[in-house]
Amino acid sequence: MLRYLTIFATFARACLVRDMTFRANFLLECLTSLGWMSMNLAFYLLIFSFTPEIGRDSGWSREPFFAFVATGLIINAVVQALFMPSASELAEMVRTGGLDAILVKPLDAQFLLSMHRFDFSSLANGIVGVVLLAWAVPRFPVPPPLVAWLLYPLLIVCGVAILYGLIITLAAATIMMGRNQSLYDFWFYITNFSRYPAEIYAGPWGGPLRMLCTFVIPILLVVNVPAGTIAKPLSGEAWGMVLVTVVAAVAAISFSRLFFQTALARYRSASS
Amino acid sequence: MHNRSESSADRVIEVEGLTKQYRVFDKPEGLWASVRGLFHRESRVIEALRGVDLRVNRGEFLAMLGPNGAGKTTFLKLLSGIITPTRGTARVLGHVPWERTDDFRRRFALVMGQKNQLWWDLPAAESFRLHQEIYRIEPRRFARIRDELVDMLQVGRLLGQPVRELSLGERMKLELVAALLHEPEVLFLDEPTIGLDVVAQHTIHEFLRRVQRQRSVTVILTTHYMKDVAALCERVVVVTSGSILYDGSLEQIVDRFTTHKVVTLDFEEPPPAEQVQRFGFPWEMRGPRVTLRIDRTQIAEVLPRLLADKQVRDVSVEDVPLEEIVAGLFRGASAAANTSTEPAGVE
Repeated sequence: MLRYLTIFATFARACLVRDMTFRANFLLECLTSLGWMSMNLAFYLLIFSFTPEIGRDSGWSREPFFAFVATGLIINAVVQALFMPSASELAEMVRTGGLDAILVKPLDAQFLLSMHRFDFSSLANGIVGVVLLAWAVPRFPVPPPLVAWLLYPLLIVCGVAILYGLIITLAAATIMMGRNQSLYDFWFYITNFSRYPAEIYAGPWGGPLRMLCTFVIPILLVVNVPAGTIAKPLSGEAWGMVLVTVVAAVAAISFSRLFFQTALARYRSASS
Repeated sequence: MHNRSESSADRVIEVEGLTKQYRVFDKPEGLWASVRGLFHRESRVIEALRGVDLRVNRGEFLAMLGPNGAGKTTFLKLLSGIITPTRGTARVLGHVPWERTDDFRRRFALVMGQKNQLWWDLPAAESFRLHQEIYRIEPRRFARIRDELVDMLQVGRLLGQPVRELSLGERMKLELVAALLHEPEVLFLDEPTIGLDVVAQHTIHEFLRRVQRQRSVTVILTTHYMKDVAALCERVVVVTSGSILYDGSLEQIVDRFTTHKVVTLDFEEPPPAEQVQRFGFPWEMRGPRVTLRIDRTQIAEVLPRLLADKQVRDVSVEDVPLEEIVAGLFRGASAAANTSTEPAGVE
């Protein structure tokens, strides 16, 4: 484990060196990312100028909702910084045979493939997320209890784990298929669901969609459960969802691991 | 066939009946055919390797020759554990390669001339550092080996330069340093000199020869350059259409596959064609230089007669160039293989 942490740190250091080599690009990426996020926040402020709450009696009034947005920013920043750059490179590596070099290294291939490239500029959004959370929490109608503060980081880790499982599953599909671009589009479509409170999915279409995105592809748990734990009272149902989230995280990691191993056994490599 | 008298304890690579098949889908031309292909695809099975048997002992430097698509790279990928075979067994350093155990992967290295393994945007020194962590090389040992290899190839000044700014030759030298940092017992080299100029090729030959001798590394080299083979390898394996056609020494390949020698005569001035025809052998003339192809058994008898010609200024007797022998082997084998493709299947 220590060895993997050391290698992780070495990769991170090497990526930082690379990012510093292209300083202008790094700053531009930070600015683009912050610009996109500022527009989103402005959009939400606009919505709250028309309504005091998103969804009837949902508990997502302005400050709790901004805690929800902050939680999403933190989770997505971690995923975008640590896993997405490597995963998005994978399709090209499979197509060109670059994956070969990874498979001959005496390290876990999944670790190497999912964590060899980082994008530190994405962490800028995470920092804004922490600041936004620090602004929103003292303005909650009811302050979060100690147990919510203890559960919050654990559930953030679970949210990241669910997204990581999804990324690895898509990456494994890439290895099996040799070429896979639409599945990365699928990633962006599906993760869009995680950006809004689960309560908005109601009615004859919304209800089944909510069930699907909670229990089959548990994308709705990723932000909703940690944000709900800190921003809303911990009811019996909330405790149930905490348990579901922990189970979903373990299942996502286990399933993606199994699928990845199966895909590697079927890897064909590319022509020299 | 190659003489292998060493004990099995010295055996580093053992391959039996290794077969690799790929199913490929035919993509017919035209829009309608493409639409039809969405529902009904014609496929073929391609046999990249057909039951290959091979044994390699510790410290051998073996060259694998073959035309494009012969199965050389597939063979190295199987021995490196990158892909799994359809049939057959292989053991490298006692391990089944495609089980990809860390213990096995720490003991070999693979260098691919056409693929970059160093980090493109970073200086090689950073990639080396990463390598040290991945292979768990103790810092002092790492520094010693790195400095030794860097000195041998004289690439010290390149270590701080981003890899993308290096020439192909410089990059390949650094790829070799990276591959050897963990002191592998087995080294797979897939066309390491491809695209390099003569000086860079020579430097890499010298380097590989020295490293192989000093460390008793077992090396399998695939190449299209006979200069690589002549400079480095004692044993040659010729692969065509996924099968081994020849396994033996470089000298034997000449003895076995040629019946004649090339005799070159330099005249004072271009001789008349009738005079050359009188020698009675196939000939070629370029200015005052005449090349004859003479049966090896007749050389001793014919040579004094040629030397007696007063107009001949110089005579040289050489084997048929290796490139020519190997090209002949490839042509013969590919003609035979053209009839043996697997039947088509449908999915």
